[in-house]
Amino acid sequence: MFTEVLSAAPQSGTNAINDFLAGVKPEFVPAWAVPLTAVGIAVGITIALVSVIAMFSTWLERKVSGHIQCRYGPMRAGWHGWLQPLADGVKLLLKEDLVPVGADRVMYVVAPAIVLASVLAALAAYPLAPGFFFADLDLGIFFILAMTSTTTIGVVMAGWSSNSKWSLYGAMREAAQVVAYEIPLGISLLVPIMVAGSFNLLEVSRGQAGMFGMDWYIWPWVNPFMLPCFVLFFIAILAETKRAPFDLPEAESELVAGFMTEYSGIRWSFFFMEEYAAMYLYSVVGAFFFFGGFESPLTWGAAKVFGDGHVLYHCAAGLTLILKGFAGVFLMMWLRWTLPRVRIDQVMTLGYKYLTPLALACVLGGSLWEVFVAPILPWRNG
Amino acid sequence: MAESTATTEREFMLDVRTQDMEVNMGPQHPATHGVMRILMRADGEICTGAQPHLGYLHRCAEKIGENVEWLQYLPYTDRYDYLAAMNNNLGYSLAVEKLMGIEIPRRALMIRTICAELNRIGSHLIAFGTYGLDIGAFTPFLYMFREREWMMALFEKICGARLTYSYIRIGGVFNDAPPGWLSEVERFCDVFEEKWQEYVDLLMVNHIFVQRTANIGVISPAMALDFGLSGPMVRGSGIDWDLRRDMPYELYAEIWKAGAFSIPLGKGERGALGDCWDRAYVRVMEMMESIKIVRWCLDSIAPGPVIADIPKTLRVPAGEAYVGIENPRGELGHYVVSDGGKVAVRCRVRGPSFTNLAVVEELMPGTLIADAVAIIGSTDIVVGETDR
Amino acid sequence: MDFRGILDRLKARQAPGLVGSDEPRAADPADKKDKGRAGDPFLWVEAQALPRFLELCRDDERLRFECLIDLTATDPSKDDPNLHVVVQLLSLAFRHRLMVKCTLPKAAASMPSSVPVHRAAQWHERECGEMFGITFTGHPDPRHILLPEDWIGTPLRKDYVFPDEYHGISCK
Repeated sequence: MFTEVLSAAPQSGTNAINDFLAGVKPEFVPAWAVPLTAVGIAVGITIALVSVIAMFSTWLERKVSGHIQCRYGPMRAGWHGWLQPLADGVKLLLKEDLVPVGADRVMYVVAPAIVLASVLAALAAYPLAPGFFFADLDLGIFFILAMTSTTTIGVVMAGWSSNSKWSLYGAMREAAQVVAYEIPLGISLLVPIMVAGSFNLLEVSRGQAGMFGMDWYIWPWVNPFMLPCFVLFFIAILAETKRAPFDLPEAESELVAGFMTEYSGIRWSFFFMEEYAAMYLYSVVGAFFFFGGFESPLTWGAAKVFGDGHVLYHCAAGLTLILKGFAGVFLMMWLRWTLPRVRIDQVMTLGYKYLTPLALACVLGGSLWEVFVAPILPWRNG
Repeated sequence: MAESTATTEREFMLDVRTQDMEVNMGPQHPATHGVMRILMRADGEICTGAQPHLGYLHRCAEKIGENVEWLQYLPYTDRYDYLAAMNNNLGYSLAVEKLMGIEIPRRALMIRTICAELNRIGSHLIAFGTYGLDIGAFTPFLYMFREREWMMALFEKICGARLTYSYIRIGGVFNDAPPGWLSEVERFCDVFEEKWQEYVDLLMVNHIFVQRTANIGVISPAMALDFGLSGPMVRGSGIDWDLRRDMPYELYAEIWKAGAFSIPLGKGERGALGDCWDRAYVRVMEMMESIKIVRWCLDSIAPGPVIADIPKTLRVPAGEAYVGIENPRGELGHYVVSDGGKVAVRCRVRGPSFTNLAVVEELMPGTLIADAVAIIGSTDIVVGETDR
Repeated sequence: MDFRGILDRLKARQAPGLVGSDEPRAADPADKKDKGRAGDPFLWVEAQALPRFLELCRDDERLRFECLIDLTATDPSKDDPNLHVVVQLLSLAFRHRLMVKCTLPKAAASMPSSVPVHRAAQWHERECGEMFGITFTGHPDPRHILLPEDWIGTPLRKDYVFPDEYHGISCK
């Protein structure tokens, strides 16, 4: 009964959740509860993932910023402060839940939920390991970019509904900035998509296996336009996640806290969970398209030693991806604590006048390379 | 709002009314450098008017000056420009000493100069560090505070306080430097020179910082003089004026003749002459000049008395005097009037921040809100001095 | 130029409102009561002519007092019927300073504003006006600057009495 329902959906490759559910045969569970259970498990895992990513990222941010600034960061809550996010979470939960006078109550409450929900939805398209994913979408990256863009709606709602002029400024800046940088973000991903030939994240990752797991797309012999594309992509994700040097929407020293000024407690933590989760997710997109995704010498070694279907192979692959994702997050944090903030009109100028034409030029060059040069290169065929 | 009765499209466009938004910066705001309120009118992101509202930190310093004795007033002087308290003490002491006509022992002059210049470095560290913070660079602020901590530890060793010293007194300084203090100052100078290069590399020439501050808040030389500005505000506009060289007090005439220091001026290197970058540049370069002055004093200092003989209950001869000194922020003037008694008749403090802030009303319209923050940061005001 | 030189130049240019000067002097040994005067020399100028005087000081090519450093006032004592308005001028070109004083009767403390001559006077006159109760006619924006808009009283006059309460807050 389980297998019938589950196999009706288009699948490619094995899926640990489906296998697990197929293996369980509870006759007393009615048919309509089966997809709900599957969805429930998936949702539970995504929420847990986002929470853990956010918690770890807050700790990482405070330690990274501390060490860059010649101080230690949290040291008391647990060994080197690793329990600090837990303490922060408890504090935020216990804070008074208030809605400012004059604020639009419905929008004020819904805005953080929308923001977090878009990121959770984007996570549905992510494979956690080659055999452990929620849905193997052929439209993978397209879906991810679309869902992460909808956070803007939530931010603008938050800024408007707070009934505060400073929040409004933050929201307007954010909307302008995100819309401007969506373009170079999407365009710069076109070159790796061309090389891979697919939007599907698992296929993109599989295409970079080889050379002991180091046959990544970023190397110049694959396509020399990959490196400029990655730089453009990285700048675009800094702007999308509102990280310095593009953190005007939450410009602390000008707008107090931008669109989040009037939020406190658990609602504020939603915004922050979204920010760190988005940072991680965009990093992972970059890891998939430029740095091999699941492929690394560790994965290759695990495949050689344990075989393709073994659970330790999946763990190695998953660990590789996590490390690559957090390397990107670390780089973003490093930049935040080093560079000053760019002014909003300069952000716009950079996005529209410099990055977009550059991205288009890279796509043009990359596609010409693919059509004319790549077929004659021995390492690109077969 | 009136109902729209427009029928054609043109009539509709004329009928739509937009209003400039009135935004309130402060009194509680991370970028106003203290408790100050600026009422801004903004058309979107462009500021169309600015009106500073002061008085939140007014502590009636001048009225108190007329009610306490001469020596008792000294701690109050620390508290107006609390980031450069040594210089405030110095200004007040010089004004009263001018009325008294006494001579200050040479060792006291040396120690006073060292303390004033070290405090100048500390004040500029905060000015530049918080300026970076306003622009969004969080880290240089903490690096600069590392050096400022050392400076405050030095002051704690000599007078017991980290921020409000009351150390430079009428007649000299309160006590002699403890043994080893002078060599520690020398070590500070050595270490500071390397760190200074770090700050320049990290923030001063950072492309984003330059883009945020160049061509913003341009003060022309004529405007600077018309508004009575002083300190880095005029030197940033290229005007070669420094009270330490042009109207010297204490030992500065001697130090200048020895060629120990120079006066950095804004040159319009990264944009228009007299923009925010030039003023920040002047402050950063002045830190190195202060180090040179401190080194000269360390080389020339000799043992001796540190305070002239001043009675506990001071009666200052009748008269009035004005003394202006070069505070890190500009010309700090003390105008004291005495009728021969124990208490001043008038103790006027001319704070440079008060005068320098007036120019903001003129500079802000036409800039973006983010620039407004850059402009206020470049005036380097301390609200304690603006309000007294 | 020293003070005497400035005074001679002003006299030669027939500076408007120049009444006299006051220089520091040692105590007169013949007169026990005279303790002399210490400090800086200054000029006495008529209050109503102050802006024209400042304009001459600013524009004259041998004086060139471009900067108005300070404009404030003094209340010499409770018994004195006059206030003294004190102006500090600075010349960057010639490196000299000048102190100028005007008397204003306390009962009718009104004089023309110097803002057209030096814009630095704008905020200084606002502060001076609210603290001493002086009206500067022609000032573009004579609001309170340091005191609250609705404060009653002129704090720096010697006969000032602190109010008993302000907006319901007891001030005792």
